[in-house]
Amino acid sequence: MRPTTALLTAGFLSLVPAAQAADTVRLMSYSDTFRDHYTETVLTPYAARGGARVEYVPVAGLGSAAMLGQLRTQKNDPQLDVIIMDATTAAIACAEGLVEPVDAQMLPVIKELDPQAVAAGGKCGPGVTFDHLVIVYDTKAVIPAPTSLKELWNAKWKGRIALGAPPNIQGLALTAILAHADTGDWTKADGAFKALAALAPSVQTFDPQPDSNTVVLNHTVDFSTNWNARGQLFHDTSNGQLGVMLPSEGTVFQINTINVVKNSHARAAALDFMAYALSAPAQKAFTERMFYGPTNLTAQIAPEAANRTAAAPQFKASVIPLDWNEMIKLRDSWNQRWRREVISAGGR
Amino acid sequence: MVRRVKRTGWLLCMPGFVVLAVAFVWPMIILARMSLNETADTGAMVETFSLATYRKLAEDSFTWQMTADSLLLSATCATFALLLAYPMALLLFRSTSRFRHLLAIVAVAPLLVSGTARVIGWLAILGDRGMINNILRFVGLGVQPLINNWTGVRIGLTESVMPYAMLALLGGFGRLDRLLEEAAATLGAGPMRRFWRVTFPLTLPAVTAAWLLAFVLTVSAFITPHLMGGGRVFVLATEIFDAASVTLDWPAAAALSIYALVLLMLLLGAQATLLRKRRT
Repeated sequence: MRPTTALLTAGFLSLVPAAQAADTVRLMSYSDTFRDHYTETVLTPYAARGGARVEYVPVAGLGSAAMLGQLRTQKNDPQLDVIIMDATTAAIACAEGLVEPVDAQMLPVIKELDPQAVAAGGKCGPGVTFDHLVIVYDTKAVIPAPTSLKELWNAKWKGRIALGAPPNIQGLALTAILAHADTGDWTKADGAFKALAALAPSVQTFDPQPDSNTVVLNHTVDFSTNWNARGQLFHDTSNGQLGVMLPSEGTVFQINTINVVKNSHARAAALDFMAYALSAPAQKAFTERMFYGPTNLTAQIAPEAANRTAAAPQFKASVIPLDWNEMIKLRDSWNQRWRREVISAGGR
Repeated sequence: MVRRVKRTGWLLCMPGFVVLAVAFVWPMIILARMSLNETADTGAMVETFSLATYRKLAEDSFTWQMTADSLLLSATCATFALLLAYPMALLLFRSTSRFRHLLAIVAVAPLLVSGTARVIGWLAILGDRGMINNILRFVGLGVQPLINNWTGVRIGLTESVMPYAMLALLGGFGRLDRLLEEAAATLGAGPMRRFWRVTFPLTLPAVTAAWLLAFVLTVSAFITPHLMGGGRVFVLATEIFDAASVTLDWPAAAALSIYALVLLMLLLGAQATLLRKRRT
């Protein structure tokens, strides 16, 4: 071959994406700390026990929404094999046929899982982590430590509160908790909306930026809605400046599910990795590192970590059984009610 | 000969047309097609040919309120930006200082910084415990809410489009003939009269172009309303973002995008017609 031809051929080949090695599993999930901790506690041990190579593809910024976008655009030629995303988004992916249905016959480890985790995935992949809504607060400003959501209505905190309003699901979760505390039924939310409208004038922002932890730590506000796992992590990294309250009114789970992408190029390896991710050792390691509740009931979590998740026995009773698939149907109307009844009452 | 030149002209334009077709027309066709899909109760997208999404948006009073708010916000910010940029642009245009070019660079320097970084800077300056509120507190005026509301968004957007308005004004001041102003002065016109009767009318085309540019940029601005609105400011751009990226209602996001595009084209068309009528 003449040198010019060889050079052109090499150049052309370098433009063609390398065919994905059949035994490499491409996993897409959240970026930053989630990726770091998940890699150390799950992917590295999986590789050490002889599993396939797992390449972590982080998705920045918009999390699950961006992941669904990738699945939709790659529908005809998926470049991903496994995806860990929020259950509400995964339900859409499942309904659109973007991820594979799985059952206990295909993945026997499903029998070890919490029924809530299995139900969250529907006919597709089950829950792999539990998280739950909490209130994070500035421990130097809020003394004594709060135990109830009622503290937010204290006039003392006017202008010092951040709420993640819908379409952020934190706002939906907060509404459901207040509705459950008011009526015993999380779907009957008239009273909750009245309470939220009364709280609105005290709210500085309905969209904490850059995130719920930072607005408390940089003293923009004293309280914010948040998810437990990241709150616990920031509690540790801020040397306790960020407090985390599990409200006495209860909480609701946010569930991340794990799924095999439909028409995955490495299906067998992807299912093998999925089984490992749901197994007790992987669940134990990740919970003890990042405080996401385990979905595998046989995982023996160290008490000091377990007590910082709602999966701890003493907190389990406070988890309101919310069906996120039902919530999606209410989402539009609740979103509108937040805008018309809550945010409009909280002018600044 | 003329025909040959014409053909060469078209051929020279071809690369531009191809880029435009690939980068703009084709995505717009995809967007228009997407807007005809529907979103089921479960959140899943259903591929179909239906105007249901447009109908739903049209029937929602929130859409109309949001449209009015978006246009009012954009008109206000474009006007403020123009009022602030005009004197600076005129000063720069007339300056004979050897630092003129440096001053021009300083005036548009904000464009060298990322929009997000600038907004984060504003959050620190205008926050309840930021620099401005610390001064207000010190002089006994108390804390004024300057972010997480419409005020913050107006401040942020005005600042973000001001350099563009300035560039458009500087570009359009070419028609400003110093001799005409001097002639007016010779005929006894005072400075104010000179400005309103000679200078301003001559710069009106530049003013119109600058205002329009600022208006269009403000209507499509997303970062500032998103980061400085505190969840209280609902405009077309933030709604499209939420539908596309949070609620994952892509048909609604596409329909809103098409709606915003048509709205802007109608407004620009109306403005062009008015200007043409004024000239004739």
